[in-house]
Amino acid sequence: MNQSFIIGQYVPKESPVHALDARTKLVIVFFYVLVTFSAETLSSYLILFLFAAFGAVMSRVHPLFIVKGLRPIWFIIILTFILHLFIQRQGEVLFSIFGYAIYDQAVIQAAIISSRLFLLILMTSLLTLTTTPISITDAVETLLKPLKSIKLPIHELALMMSISLRFIPTLIEETDKISKAQASRGIDFRTGKWRDRLKAIFALLIPLFISAFKRAEDLAMAMEARGYRGDYGRTKFRELKFTSLDLIVFLLFIIIVIGFFYFNG
Amino acid sequence: MNHKTLMLVEIAILTTLAFLLDTIPGLQFTIWPQGGSVSFAMIPVFIIAFRWGLKAGLASGLIFGVLDLLFGGTVVHWLQGLLDYIVAFVGLGVAGVFASGIRKGLSNNDHTKVSMLIILGTFIGMAIRFIAHYLAGVIFFAHFAPEDQPVWLYSLVYNSTYLIPGFILSAIIIIMLVISRPQLVVRTS
Repeated sequence: MNQSFIIGQYVPKESPVHALDARTKLVIVFFYVLVTFSAETLSSYLILFLFAAFGAVMSRVHPLFIVKGLRPIWFIIILTFILHLFIQRQGEVLFSIFGYAIYDQAVIQAAIISSRLFLLILMTSLLTLTTTPISITDAVETLLKPLKSIKLPIHELALMMSISLRFIPTLIEETDKISKAQASRGIDFRTGKWRDRLKAIFALLIPLFISAFKRAEDLAMAMEARGYRGDYGRTKFRELKFTSLDLIVFLLFIIIVIGFFYFNG
Repeated sequence: MNHKTLMLVEIAILTTLAFLLDTIPGLQFTIWPQGGSVSFAMIPVFIIAFRWGLKAGLASGLIFGVLDLLFGGTVVHWLQGLLDYIVAFVGLGVAGVFASGIRKGLSNNDHTKVSMLIILGTFIGMAIRFIAHYLAGVIFFAHFAPEDQPVWLYSLVYNSTYLIPGFILSAIIIIMLVISRPQLVVRTS
């Protein structure tokens, strides 16, 4: 079965952006998104754009992948642009289409709002294009560690997240197998009467659930046999490392933010 | 076996299944011949909530939301992201408050009570999800649509089209599943 629809957006490459610690990327994307919402002037947008574009170039990810990542949102960006163009009625008339006046303020507003949307999506997809979901999980776990003191089960949630990510391909295969097996028995839940289709779904869901519970029991048994007893004293297969590259990127980002607020007035 | 380890692993695996039911093409239920499909994705989350209770349900919802976010989520505003991917999915797990009632009903063979509690649980879970997506939609449109637009209406219509059929379908299927296979929510070990 073609698994490409689920592998996510991660594109494996050797690049400085890929090499960055996932925590660095996560923190920067978080603040980038926050800052973007206060952008008002053209030059502040330009600074934000330059940073994102620099990141995109350094990531060595083929531009096609980036465009593909933006695909679900193109429609919204264009729609937003057109809506603003026609509904804003401030400033001077620039020109008119079919007797409908377009104002200069409308063009500026439309450009600002759609570039904000564009930058947000560009930056977040840059994160998922260069970082595996598992590293993002590890990064979130370390960043949220302080929340343990208010009794939030951070370790347990991260563990479940890692198991879940690890089992995506396995369960895809399983689901595929079961739905093919049931299809070979003549089950079809996409056509026919409501009642028949509900029955067909049953034939798919019950074996799926039963096998998922069985798998879970095996895994839990295996974990306990190897001495899993929660967070305390547990070691990791993959370790996050903070390097001088991360420090440089952080400094660069701080300069960008200072520049941003300087030009944002 | 330690119950906690088993619970963690079951949440993880069943939630993965939920995510895949939502993602693998062709596994969705078509309501109208022209299109418009509803997935069964919420069913495993509800099963976990009824099997292990409130906390497990909330955890399952959270993981579902984060998976959704990691594999192609759209965040345009921090509050919209929080509502759409965290609150909405965690809210599904609230159904878990009826876990012990459902298990008790099953052991007494009281199918009416079991069905009522399942409907109530899925309804509350879905209602919270609906409200979260609704508010997120309002924020989204308020930020990116021009002023003086009935943004609340867009969000209401858009979210109703898939969440209401989703609720009905999930409730029916869960009742049928749980009554014919009580071991899905009653733990033997």
